[in-house]
Amino acid sequence: MSNWALACTLVFVVVTILLSVQRKLGLEKEIAIGTVRAAVQLLLIGYVLHYVFDTRKPALIVLIVLLMITVASFNAGKRADRIPGIRLRIGLTLLVTESITMGLLLLLHIIEATPQYIIPVSGIIVGSSMIVSGLFLSQMNRELEAARGEIETLLTLGATPRQAIGHSVKRAIRSSMIPTFDGMKTVGLVQLPGMMTGMIVAGAEPIEAVRYQILIMFVLSSSAAVTAIMLGGISAKLWFTKEGLLRKG
Amino acid sequence: MTALFTLERLTKYLPEQPEQPLFSGITAQITAGERITLLGASGQGKSTLMRIMSLLETSDSGSIALDGKPSSAWQAKDWRKQVCYVAQQAVMLPGSVEANLRTVSNLHSIPFEKELAAQLMEAVGLSRIDWTRPAGDLSGGEKQRVALVRALLLHPRLLLLDEVTASLDPGSKQEVERLLLSWSEREHTAYLWVTHDLAQAAEVSDTVWFMAEGRLLETSGTADFFSEPSTDQARSFIHRESAQGGVADE
Repeated sequence: MSNWALACTLVFVVVTILLSVQRKLGLEKEIAIGTVRAAVQLLLIGYVLHYVFDTRKPALIVLIVLLMITVASFNAGKRADRIPGIRLRIGLTLLVTESITMGLLLLLHIIEATPQYIIPVSGIIVGSSMIVSGLFLSQMNRELEAARGEIETLLTLGATPRQAIGHSVKRAIRSSMIPTFDGMKTVGLVQLPGMMTGMIVAGAEPIEAVRYQILIMFVLSSSAAVTAIMLGGISAKLWFTKEGLLRKG
Repeated sequence: MTALFTLERLTKYLPEQPEQPLFSGITAQITAGERITLLGASGQGKSTLMRIMSLLETSDSGSIALDGKPSSAWQAKDWRKQVCYVAQQAVMLPGSVEANLRTVSNLHSIPFEKELAAQLMEAVGLSRIDWTRPAGDLSGGEKQRVALVRALLLHPRLLLLDEVTASLDPGSKQEVERLLLSWSEREHTAYLWVTHDLAQAAEVSDTVWFMAEGRLLETSGTADFFSEPSTDQARSFIHRESAQGGVADE
């Protein structure tokens, strides 16, 4: 893509801002900040990736993946920032999800052990797991309101915190995984995923692009399951105070 | 007699009213097998007091102890196995009536006392209820009684009963009263029972705790409380409640 073509893409931002002004949505500042941040962040990561791909240092790959996990943990943790220790649990969950998934991909030689494969696929895994974590926490917040009576009833009967919140955690796990599986059911029919589209635009054979997209969809399903189940397990006690009281929703 | 449960200068503020306590300085004792009713006008914090006693909420100051051991020295689950709160709004857990009755057995991996559960269900007038029915479909009164039976199957040493007969017809109410009296006798279970029904208080308790003006104003024998209340607040409370129909048959 030429610089001119890239500059022309700003026309879409202008359309968005004009619509916001015309409809008095008050989103102009948000749109402007989002535009600048997206452009700067993507250009920066472009240069970083260019450097990493050239140097091929494993330590740099690990550093980038850890950075992704840290940012993702902080972002997903916003949904429950009143819960002490939640970001640490999310970080740990993302680290395990990434390790299991990437470990299998490399061990089974599904992808090549090069930065060109590891970093983008890690980004997809961590990004998707961040969304699953956020969905899980949002659902848990709703559970703390809606199922408070149920949880407290179990507590009054001598249940441990883990027993008392078990049903709620299970419902939140299910609810955070469903969008991933819904996406699998409609992919190709309703939406063409970004990675596949990008490959085709960049000149890859559609069938080759589809093969990679299938790989990504399957990876996302397992990473969603690992993330939701692990986060549900290691965060169960955090919804209670150290005195065993259920926290407010 | 050694106290089963002690409350020492308990004070609670509500977040929305930080300048004035809901109640303060609540000090009292409960002995094993003691039957107490907790009386007082609405808004005195009786339910909140019970929730604090069952470790569902914390007080702002003061302490509670079970067997002389402060609550901080207990695991909350072990405390709640002995001090069981039965809420005014009965909550049925997902599943059938039987699943609800089996809750204690499932939680604590102990055998289900099916025969006892059937006896208790009969005692509260639910002998004909289908145990496979979804518990959520029961009426308010039925849920209330199933919740009570579910709690009794825990065999707690202290029951905290929050207006547990509020949604029952007179016949069912009497059945529950009889059951709780005989259960307390048989199991040596103490209870603290919040009620607005003075006749019920006279029937089911040996001791009355009376709350007014954010304090526990009286802890006296039931007969004495109704015949010679020692505070003006209690006298006017009895007078007011009696006029509204809750006459004590002392």
